[in-house]
Amino acid sequence: MTVFKTFLKVLNKSKLPIILYTVILVFFGAFNIQTSENSTSFVASKPDILIINKDKEEGITKNLIDYIKENSNIKDIESNEEAINDALFYRDVNYIIYIPENYREEFLKGENPEIEIKSTGDYQASLAEMMLERYIKIANIYEGNIENEEELINKINETLSKQTEIEITSKLDTDNLTKASFFFNFANYSILAGCVYVICLILSSFKEEKISKRTIISSMNYKKHNFELLVSNSLFAIILWIFYVILSFILVGDIMFTTHGLIYILNSFIFTICAVTIAFLIGNLVSNKNAINGIVNVVALGSSFLCGSFVPLEWLPDTVIKIAHILPSYYYISSNEMIAKLEIVNFETIIPILKNMGIILIFMMVFIIATNIISRYNRKIG
Amino acid sequence: MFIHNFKYALKTLFRDKMLIFWTFAFPIILGTFFNMAFSNIENSEKLEIIDIAIVDNDEFQNNELYKEALKTLSDEGNADRLFNTRYVTEEEAKQLLEKNEITGYMILEEDTPKVVVTTSGINETILKYVVEEITTNGQIVESLMDKEINKELSSGNYNLYNLDYKKIYENVLEKTQNQEVRITNISNNNLSYTMIEFYTLIAMACLYGGILGMVAINKNLANMSSNGKRVSVAPTTKGKVIFSSILASYITQLVGLTLLFIYTIFVLKVDYGTNLPLIILLGIVGSLAGLSMGLAIGTILKTNENVKTGIVIAVTMLGCFLSGMMGITMKYIIDTNAPIINKINPASMITDGFYSLYYYDTLDRYYFNIISLLIFSIIMILISYTSLRRQKFENL
Repeated sequence: MTVFKTFLKVLNKSKLPIILYTVILVFFGAFNIQTSENSTSFVASKPDILIINKDKEEGITKNLIDYIKENSNIKDIESNEEAINDALFYRDVNYIIYIPENYREEFLKGENPEIEIKSTGDYQASLAEMMLERYIKIANIYEGNIENEEELINKINETLSKQTEIEITSKLDTDNLTKASFFFNFANYSILAGCVYVICLILSSFKEEKISKRTIISSMNYKKHNFELLVSNSLFAIILWIFYVILSFILVGDIMFTTHGLIYILNSFIFTICAVTIAFLIGNLVSNKNAINGIVNVVALGSSFLCGSFVPLEWLPDTVIKIAHILPSYYYISSNEMIAKLEIVNFETIIPILKNMGIILIFMMVFIIATNIISRYNRKIG
Repeated sequence: MFIHNFKYALKTLFRDKMLIFWTFAFPIILGTFFNMAFSNIENSEKLEIIDIAIVDNDEFQNNELYKEALKTLSDEGNADRLFNTRYVTEEEAKQLLEKNEITGYMILEEDTPKVVVTTSGINETILKYVVEEITTNGQIVESLMDKEINKELSSGNYNLYNLDYKKIYENVLEKTQNQEVRITNISNNNLSYTMIEFYTLIAMACLYGGILGMVAINKNLANMSSNGKRVSVAPTTKGKVIFSSILASYITQLVGLTLLFIYTIFVLKVDYGTNLPLIILLGIVGSLAGLSMGLAIGTILKTNENVKTGIVIAVTMLGCFLSGMMGITMKYIIDTNAPIINKINPASMITDGFYSLYYYDTLDRYYFNIISLLIFSIIMILISYTSLRRQKFENL
């Protein structure tokens, strides 16, 4: 128990960073996870559009605005050019449409007035542009044939109102599964940083020259000492893991009670154990307390950035993903991604996930062996 | 004395490995991570060619409208190519969809198209949209045909039997297809928002420099170190000693910042805009803000060096968080909802300064940030000055 008591003392001293890593996780979890209803019918994506209308909102101009409003999220941003430009840069709007003065008049005269736009150039902006182009094309075609404005507007709307039938095959609650994946992917950072920081700190406290000398000459069997150290560190890791799992129930919600949720939890458990072995390895390599903070940041941030913990895997460049294959975090995170896409859970469909878990287990073995070799080498020197 | 102390202050700073790690190496390492993670984000957000399938049944084969339109949209030579289309049977299409190899497929039944997809999403929306567009085009052609035919008939030149349908059809088709849409894109070219990450990185490096200033000043404070006790009883002007230490840490900081700039510009290809002198000026003023913040924290607080370092790091990270380091939208949220926070946050002033150089053509906003940084630095220096002068200790 002596070892365990000391363990608790050191842990108490380093509670601040652990709270910090957890707060970051909760904050980002809550920030990105907003509750949404499970929908199995098709919901069209709506780009965020800002309309700056310099014309009077009447007739054909009003109709254009109404059409855009119906098919997009209209953003309300104060009408100063700097605020608008900022909004575009930070992707608060995807597409800005400037309707020129006298648009209606010129359009009805058949002059095909020019419309200025600002665009972020991404998916949403492309969709917005398709929308605008389609409207203008149809309006132009009818304009040459129909004199009366009201009739023209009716004809345009009639044409635009035609909807294509769309069928959705998946019955998966994709939205909530994506959230769960996001949470557990982010937990990669918190688990890794938390475990490595605490365990390294504790190991280095025990390895301080005076303390280790005292321990060696004490009557306590070194095997018992090491065993208690291992158990208390693992206990800490498991408590941390349970805490994060409880958090996931709060933040992600119902989906955690399904088989999918169970696989997420199992996957994170295996990864937590792996994090413990990584921590032991680092703790044995480094004895300088001051260096621990730097190493924790480089290891945790590095594997989180490289393996898609912060930025989704699909957005990472291919070379980075190739490098990521040498890190256990990659297999943990790619399993999370796979779980989100599982239509049916049976033995056959979870084979790739089991494979990833197997790879993480191999990593653990390698880390344990490396730790043993290093600590033996260190002991010989000592 | 000035030169002597300056030399040794510089030496001690450069020999402190932890210090050099946090102020020199850590920003570079973090920048490398940023680059690895973010370099592809903006490309992945651009519209790519969408994989779809078409059920190649008899009805599709007989429908020129859809056949032609989809052929054009999937043509590899077409600059506006939207789809990579496979023509398959319904069974195959279902399988492809199940394997996630296509976004969705279209099937024609009784002349009405139906789109089948797995989930809602942007690619799915685009597919639906395009199919709708083809359908409406067909309708437009039909309704215009009717109108033209009626016109020709009522003109009395033709009757139902000698009407040249083909010619009318072609006329109508040409009319519908050659519609010029006059849209001009007036947005700025510099729209790469991931640059903000690197600007916050520079801000972080500038403010971390405060640790250097703090460590240097601690060496001169009688209540902080035995070195400080010796300095305070030495028969030299305190101002000289302190000023030379501060100068040494400022120079160390600028060396680190220069390395970071060189690395981000030449290796990571970060775009700071084109105005080099102003970029350098912002770096220098930003470092001054970091240094003065470190001095103020170092002199006001009466705790040990580790706690002070922790506070500088915490303040810096909070500032960087608010200016968008952990999520670029954070800066925008603060800027629009609580602008005052970022007006007093030095990390945000630095980030916003680089942002305005990169994105805006005018310099008003840049100079506003420079002046804010200078005011911040002056306040911090005044705080340190008032707490440093006439320091007396009865016992230590």
